[in-house]
Amino acid sequence: MTMVGGNTHPNDTQTNDRALIAHLLRRAGFGATPAELDKYCSWGYDATVEWLLHPEAQPGLDEDIIERYYIDWKESRNIEGALTETVFRMNGNAATRPLQEKVALFWHGVFATGLAKVLHEKTMLNQIDLFREHGLGSFQPLLERLARDPAMIFWLDNNFNHKDAINENWGRELLELFSMGVGMDGKENYTEDDVQEAARAFTGWTIDDDNVASIPFGKTPWLFRYDPDDHDDGEKTFLGETGNFNGDDIIEIICRQPSTARFISRHMYNFFVADDVQVPAWQSTPPADPEAIAILEAEYFRSGYDIRSMLRTMFTSDFFKSETARFARVKSPAEVVVGTLHLVGDLKFPRAGVMDTALECRYMNQDLLNPPSVEGWHTGKEWIDSGSMVERINFVADELGNVEHSGVRSMVDALTSRGPTMDANGIVDGCLELLGHVVLRDDNRTALVAQAAEMLENGADAESVILNALRMIGSTREYQFA
Amino acid sequence: MTTVVEYPLSVAGMFQYHNVIGLLSGSGPGFSGPVSLALGRDGLLYVASRANPNQPEGVRVTRCTFDGDYVGEFSNWGEGPGQFIWITEIRFGPDGNVYLSDENTHRISVFTPEGAFLHCWGEFGADPGQLNRPSGMAFAPDGTLLVVDSLNNRVQRYTTDGEYLAGWGAEGEGPGQFRMPWAVAVDATGDVYVTDWRNNRVQKFDPAGGYITEFDGRDGGDGFERPNGLTVDNDGCIYVCDWQNDRVQVLAPDGRVMDTLIGHSGTSKWARTFLNANPDIEAKLNAATQNIELKRRFYRPRAVTVSDDGLVFVADCYRHRVQIYRRLG
Repeated sequence: MTMVGGNTHPNDTQTNDRALIAHLLRRAGFGATPAELDKYCSWGYDATVEWLLHPEAQPGLDEDIIERYYIDWKESRNIEGALTETVFRMNGNAATRPLQEKVALFWHGVFATGLAKVLHEKTMLNQIDLFREHGLGSFQPLLERLARDPAMIFWLDNNFNHKDAINENWGRELLELFSMGVGMDGKENYTEDDVQEAARAFTGWTIDDDNVASIPFGKTPWLFRYDPDDHDDGEKTFLGETGNFNGDDIIEIICRQPSTARFISRHMYNFFVADDVQVPAWQSTPPADPEAIAILEAEYFRSGYDIRSMLRTMFTSDFFKSETARFARVKSPAEVVVGTLHLVGDLKFPRAGVMDTALECRYMNQDLLNPPSVEGWHTGKEWIDSGSMVERINFVADELGNVEHSGVRSMVDALTSRGPTMDANGIVDGCLELLGHVVLRDDNRTALVAQAAEMLENGADAESVILNALRMIGSTREYQFA
Repeated sequence: MTTVVEYPLSVAGMFQYHNVIGLLSGSGPGFSGPVSLALGRDGLLYVASRANPNQPEGVRVTRCTFDGDYVGEFSNWGEGPGQFIWITEIRFGPDGNVYLSDENTHRISVFTPEGAFLHCWGEFGADPGQLNRPSGMAFAPDGTLLVVDSLNNRVQRYTTDGEYLAGWGAEGEGPGQFRMPWAVAVDATGDVYVTDWRNNRVQKFDPAGGYITEFDGRDGGDGFERPNGLTVDNDGCIYVCDWQNDRVQVLAPDGRVMDTLIGHSGTSKWARTFLNANPDIEAKLNAATQNIELKRRFYRPRAVTVSDDGLVFVADCYRHRVQIYRRLG
């Protein structure tokens, strides 16, 4: 596919840097506004990576203001409200803590937990907060916290995992979907006996309050509780090691496994670098880029399972920066919605109607906090069907065409200020640049330029032509790729 | 937890827990995020519920007795006349009518006490008289209406028909300046008290808006943390919902902290009826021992008012109830 881009900036080197940093922000965040790209370019690529990796150094959201207007969120008591809060927070942090939000979304997809069963929205939101707070740390304590997370315990029935009657649901998914995977390189990673022994180790890990009723006076938080009387403290043999293992011992053994390094690396690659085959195929299908996976696996062990270190290695690697990695992923619905909201500057301050906007994720097939199964969402081309594609195009076109949004106003003003150089080519390429250095196929770009030229010939003012170009670019196939 | 027969005292012992009215409900007996309350001349309690976008039917004004007998409700969600998106404050005017503010439509709406919509006024903007998220309201002794124009960081005075008379305030931290003020109250002399929300203080002004003093609610411990609803009783004592501290501070007229209410809720009449019909839920509530104390306390108290005979009504917003205390002595 021959690609041409909106590379109209007078300084080619700087333009290339901007395009690369725009690529970084699409993956490590939800894209960047033109003003943010200016800032990141002034820092340089590596410094921007470091900034992204340390969201804790940046200010958080104004929780008081959020709570003042969205009074139902503190004890969020319906699925739509929880989804809305998640989208609002991702968008709110997109300028200051983008990687924190992206990592939370990443782990939400890996450790897929859903309100279809949990039915306690605040508890689910607390799990997302866990990913925000600890998702960049070491994988081992992250798993330890996950095993104590009330939403996960309820989701996978560990509150029904008793000393005298084990429930293996959590033990199985911990191995199959949360750490090692069923197999790799054509071999199985564990046995049925390992599943049973893992489940035994987590007996007595339960929750104190599993009430899901809002009535009479709202919901109260579910809390982790360890019941030593219900814990099987007997000897267990797990992955060839024997001892009186408790849950944390199992996690410690899991984290030492090469299969865990492979599993996490493949997830990271699929989420941050390029679409790959889905999890069920990983046992028999090798990675799309084995060398990249090997680099990530090595960093997993070198760093002591540190996710931040793995991401640093990935973002600064040639395989991430390469031209072939750019626009190699279909955006998830959350990326489409949040990325577009951030670009146009919508929903940065609480307003009514936020739920209608946030529900666009659901309409595009990603019902945040309510994944289709414990396997999470299938990604890549599987995001797309005719219905979701229409939703994507309509949403993006509506947002990009609304000049009342501050971000759209800024883009229009920036282009109109370029004056007479803004012919049809200039308008289209300028829009591509300001939307994050989007790259169009030749024929699509040619069609947009022709349309802009026709509008100008018919006397349309520059603002109308720019808004139309923004809408049309947002409607292209290419805009759906990150 | 669900059957409490004790009547505990406030921190300094000046107030005693008296009763609770409430139940999370989108219609009928109950509230859904009560954000404001007022006492009618008809002896009824009027409670404004803000609800949430997924429960728009919960937006309403509920009328009930002080003992928790449901009388009726009026208004609903929407942008039409007599409807609300973000209902915020309820006050009775000197004309006996009910005045309600809406932070989303930037309007003040007027109803009869029985709930018949009369008219509304308000225009979005930043010019004098215009509004940007009107929140708190209070009537002055002269019958004029003070409205907190929260995102314009000012207080404006109107006639009951919405004619703009005067205003004061600007964004900032100095005397007479505000950062997203929330509520307003007026004492018997006409002095005005405003919860200066993001500055964590209550400012006191003379009737013309001249700055007099300010209070931070500090009693040797923490001061106000985002104070919102407030009222002044007949003795000049100031009751402030100390929102993020989940308490109500009672100040002497000079601003000294006299007492603190933290919430001691028992089970309301409406909740009792619900739990009797749902014993499984009551069993789960009782089994969750780590949360029992939590459920009795205020959770983001949002509005407070005081009756002439010393009953203190607190809108316990996130618990969907009104806790009532009685002033002792």
